[in-house]
Amino acid sequence: MSKNEIDIHTEDIASIVAGLGTEKRSVIPILQAIQEKYNYLPEDALRSVCEMTDITTQQILGVASFYSQFRLEPVGEHMVKVCVGTACHVKGSALVYDALRRELKLGDDVHTDSAGKYTLEKVNCLGCCTLAPVVQVDNITYGHVASDKVGDILHDFENSKGPTGKSRIRSMDRKEIDGEIRIGLGSCCVASGSDKIRQAVEETVQKRGLHVNLKHVGCVGMCHQVPLVEIVPAQKEPTLYAKVSPDKVKSIINKHFSPPGLLKRIRNKLTDTIENIQNDGQWEGIERYHLDVREKQVSSFLGHQVLIATEFRGIINPLDIDEYIHRGGFSALGNVFRNLSPDELIRSIKKSGIRGRGGACFPTGEKWEAVARQDAPTKYIICNGDEGDPGAFMDRMLLESYPYRIIEGMIMAAYAVGASLGYFYIRAEYPLAVSRIRQALQVCREKAYLGQNIMKSGFSFDLNLFEGAGAFVCGEETALIASIEGNRGFPRLRPPYPAEKGLWGHPTLVNNAETFAQIAYIIRNGSDKYNAIGSATCKGTKVFALAGKVARGGLIEVPMGISIRKIVEEIGGGVAGGRAFKAVQIGGPSGGCVPASMADTAIDLESLSAAGAMIGSGGMVVLDETDCMVDIAKYFLSFTQKESCGKCTFCRIGTRRMLDILERLCSGKGEKGDLDKLEELAGLTRKGSLCGLGRTAPNPVLTTLRYFREEYEAHLEGRCPAGRCQELISYSINDECIGCTLCSQSCPADAIQFRPHEKHEIQQDKCIKCDSCRQVCPAGAVSVQ
Amino acid sequence: MISLKIDGENIKVPEGSTLLQAAEKAGVEIPVMCYDDRLDHFASCMVCMVKSRDSGQMLASCSVKAEEGMDIITGDEEVFEARKASLELLLSDHTGDCQAPCQLACPAHMNIPLMNRLLGEGKVDEALQVVQQDIPIPSILGRICHAPCEGACRRKTIDEPVSICLLKRYAGDIGNLQHVSAKTVNQQALKKVIGNKKVAVIGAGPAGLSAACYLQRAGYQCILYEKSDRAGGLLHLAEVMDDSYPEVLDREISQILDTGIELKTNMAVDKDLFEKLLGSSDAIVVATGEIENGIRSWNIESGKNGITIDKSTYQTSHPPVFAIGNVVRSVKSAVRSVGHGKEVAASVHQYLSGEAVKGYPKMFNSRFGKLREEEFGEYLKESHPGKRMEPVAGQGKGFDHTEMQEEAGRCLHCDCRDLHTCKLRIHADRYAANQRRYKGDAFKPVTKVFVHDAIIYEPQKCIKCGICVRLTALHKEKYGFTFIGRGFDVRIGIPFDESLEADLSETAKEVAMACPTGALALK
Repeated sequence: MSKNEIDIHTEDIASIVAGLGTEKRSVIPILQAIQEKYNYLPEDALRSVCEMTDITTQQILGVASFYSQFRLEPVGEHMVKVCVGTACHVKGSALVYDALRRELKLGDDVHTDSAGKYTLEKVNCLGCCTLAPVVQVDNITYGHVASDKVGDILHDFENSKGPTGKSRIRSMDRKEIDGEIRIGLGSCCVASGSDKIRQAVEETVQKRGLHVNLKHVGCVGMCHQVPLVEIVPAQKEPTLYAKVSPDKVKSIINKHFSPPGLLKRIRNKLTDTIENIQNDGQWEGIERYHLDVREKQVSSFLGHQVLIATEFRGIINPLDIDEYIHRGGFSALGNVFRNLSPDELIRSIKKSGIRGRGGACFPTGEKWEAVARQDAPTKYIICNGDEGDPGAFMDRMLLESYPYRIIEGMIMAAYAVGASLGYFYIRAEYPLAVSRIRQALQVCREKAYLGQNIMKSGFSFDLNLFEGAGAFVCGEETALIASIEGNRGFPRLRPPYPAEKGLWGHPTLVNNAETFAQIAYIIRNGSDKYNAIGSATCKGTKVFALAGKVARGGLIEVPMGISIRKIVEEIGGGVAGGRAFKAVQIGGPSGGCVPASMADTAIDLESLSAAGAMIGSGGMVVLDETDCMVDIAKYFLSFTQKESCGKCTFCRIGTRRMLDILERLCSGKGEKGDLDKLEELAGLTRKGSLCGLGRTAPNPVLTTLRYFREEYEAHLEGRCPAGRCQELISYSINDECIGCTLCSQSCPADAIQFRPHEKHEIQQDKCIKCDSCRQVCPAGAVSVQ
Repeated sequence: MISLKIDGENIKVPEGSTLLQAAEKAGVEIPVMCYDDRLDHFASCMVCMVKSRDSGQMLASCSVKAEEGMDIITGDEEVFEARKASLELLLSDHTGDCQAPCQLACPAHMNIPLMNRLLGEGKVDEALQVVQQDIPIPSILGRICHAPCEGACRRKTIDEPVSICLLKRYAGDIGNLQHVSAKTVNQQALKKVIGNKKVAVIGAGPAGLSAACYLQRAGYQCILYEKSDRAGGLLHLAEVMDDSYPEVLDREISQILDTGIELKTNMAVDKDLFEKLLGSSDAIVVATGEIENGIRSWNIESGKNGITIDKSTYQTSHPPVFAIGNVVRSVKSAVRSVGHGKEVAASVHQYLSGEAVKGYPKMFNSRFGKLREEEFGEYLKESHPGKRMEPVAGQGKGFDHTEMQEEAGRCLHCDCRDLHTCKLRIHADRYAANQRRYKGDAFKPVTKVFVHDAIIYEPQKCIKCGICVRLTALHKEKYGFTFIGRGFDVRIGIPFDESLEADLSETAKEVAMACPTGALALK
């Protein structure tokens, strides 16, 4: 590769180090900066760093090889990332990955094509679960990728390269606006092309000289309908348009706004008429996507939801602090400063009954109290935004859409426990969340919500941002702390808890982003109101990322205690494509699969743990009859096995051995006694692992064994009832074949002879089970057995 | 002080003590591997687990601090099984031999690799001493053994097996035990006769000779009954293309008898004599070769093939009577009979010392499958290249000194350097761990790193306890060991693939000594 010979200039490294510090703790930011510059971590650069800083070679290599963000080998010009999160997995990302390998002609263990142009890699979750399967080429995201379309993606990417136009937002005087156009700019919307929509809207508005307010709103939650545009004419009902394409923007805008002045109107009418004749599609294709909030579909999507963490969803501009304040933002903080002592604040939090939203459901008030109790001059708080569950994207959306709400929650927490400095710990895989928080922190400092003497209360507090470098285990608080301190993300034994000995050995409060996002609501509305929402033991709401085989996926916020059935069938609109609902996977790699027969299980701590699952961080992936439960267990075990920090025996080797058994089962090589051994290993790993990752890693195996044992037994006999496990299935062409030859053309393995107008046949010895023929067949003539 | 219960016993320990320290105070020994008292706790191996009686939770005793009122169980079945499972998981990812495959294949369990190394260094006398510990007739077997060891030799997978049998013959023919120390092994035995315990050995073939030899060495007076007019049994019938064989036979049989054994020839044992021997001896070893009808009348259980024994102890249905060799099952392998003789001596010793009869002590041995092609080069790093030597003087004459050294140098050193100190082996043995219980799809291929003049690194034996990482960090080595990667594929390596020399300039020996397995070992 030509990229191999990179010249490392010591001055460049020196300037990176100068900006980030020479202490051990700077190692991760320094590595991130070096990779940003060279696209990987050249050895010479790392050696220079060790010479210039207190960082040792041991530390730098241990850290660089621990986090998945870092690359020690040079890569191609462009990165092709295939998301293998849960939702993408169940929608066939493995086939997409294989297809890309074929497309790029990659040999075994090779990840960069021969021209050095593209490097292919799998990523845990891009957080666009509703667009599954997702592929990202550099910064362009492609959703709903089919394995036979991967060539088109690369082609499209080639064509779309080059500088994108500068933003041309018209600045509008609020007084003269005719209304507002809201464009969703959450990651899902952006990935689905909302940026192009934004350009089209800006162009139209500019051309026509409309007096409308253009507004970028955070995630609307209806990620299954992205990109979304909402038109809010002054003093009229708002209309929401879903799945908008750029060429329809003009028509939508025209429908709601008339340009000022008769002349302009006529001119526009004229050009429109001409364009309409040319395009021949006045409203068609748009009405289809027109959503009315009063319509049944939408009202059931929204009807069961209670918005606390996501209050003003789709209305509020994430970074507009004035709007946040206008809608009650920072009033809770002001109230706390004026009326509540730290003790009283903690008492209110305890009274509200809120529990941590990170997965373990530990009562938040008690955690705060434990830190507040410590008699120490220095204390820290940390916002855990290291969302590692490959099927979850709530934290990402909250951080992107409600940065001020989380900051406000953190300031109150800091006041309660007596901390003067805090950290945001956010995955580097969430660039939008990182940049929004960074901007929000800047704004807060300018407006004196951070810094000395906040709101003239005498209380001082500031926040830093730390970008996590990609390790699921860093969601565990002791591993997260180790990571900020510049070490490998090894968890350690608790006690001592971070509340006593946390960051740099000082008492530290670690709460999840969603927990912080609920604090302001509690203070503004009172503990009792919050306490009234939810079930007997779990209070308040929980945000879930609903994805998988559900008709309407997205971000939802529901009261605790709601049943799984309500979420899947009413909010999610049931299973897509007329297939049967089989199970729902809750809690990701630490959670379990609850079968459809238990859909009335309530979402709360006790009911879910009785069912063998857990709320976890909030990933919820719906599975249908074509999903193989053994494959699902295998999927999660291969995840935890890779993400295990590798420290303790049971997690490092136990998960691997469970995976070995599952791989045997899925390839038809299962042995008698494998199921018992699997159960035994699961029990041992649960008991003998050091931290939560290992202790919960067996859950996906245990729940699927418990509810779908017959499917495991079928695999022992060499059958996959769901038709998923490649080595246990075969493709064939049935009598529906119309002889169109499409399958033959799409087959990458030449397993189908080209025979126009005749029934085609698949040569089994050549077939690589890539699913291309089935996807391309217009007659449904490809069967899988 | 903190008070807590360890296995029901009340213990007081200073604040900050770990459960491991508390258990120690209660006199309970807990196995550890990743723990090193010079270093911070790490809690990686999980072999030191104990259980909280209240919560049922398993705790890593090396790191969990004792708390007031704790009630800890250190040794019930669940704890035992959990420790065993952690050992079995570690073993499933531990590619390496404890004892070499040749030694495991040898029915007499001879320490072949050590013999080879001593021969390779030209230390023939010391090599003979090693051989003698398991085989009292090396010159004889060096001519007639069917050498199952060579069938198991890892070198065979690469090209041809090491010519072990001829090397042993060389040691037996040329080595002189008197040069090793003032007294020969056999002469030392003479001084050791314990009390006046007598053992009757019936049959002076290879099995009986071997049994008598090792019993005599252990300090028992043996009386060897032989129905023919000379000791040696089937050894006399071996077809050997070597004129020196009769001479060698005489020499080695005499050497055995010289240990003080009383040989009674022309003495066929019948039922009457057997019963008399039961009265006059403390134990009897039956090594008559074939099973005659007469023996079936001795009131010892027997089956179709021969006398029925406990396979691990050779004890018959009548406790003072043991049986070995072809009378147990006709195999007609001299080395097997010799092995039986050595092993039965251990059982008889246990029996006569009033201990439980458990048989010859057998340690746990880690094993892995055949060498794979990518491993050949790694193993050849410490051995002579080239094919198996054929003695120039002819097969019947054996090696000359140069040939011997050349051939001995072909040995791959498969046996582990930390055979006797490896904690993984010791604990695996104690917990009766089964390496195949959680076997994975394939063992990781073996590599051997030999750059340092004092130590050798075999990463596939590593259990990732991090002691070397923490120790090199403690000593502020410029390129200390570090963890590389994560998950199942995590490994211990040296930053930037620097050499071990650069890595361990100061602490090489200390690190090798601290490694709980043979992954890092003194050369």
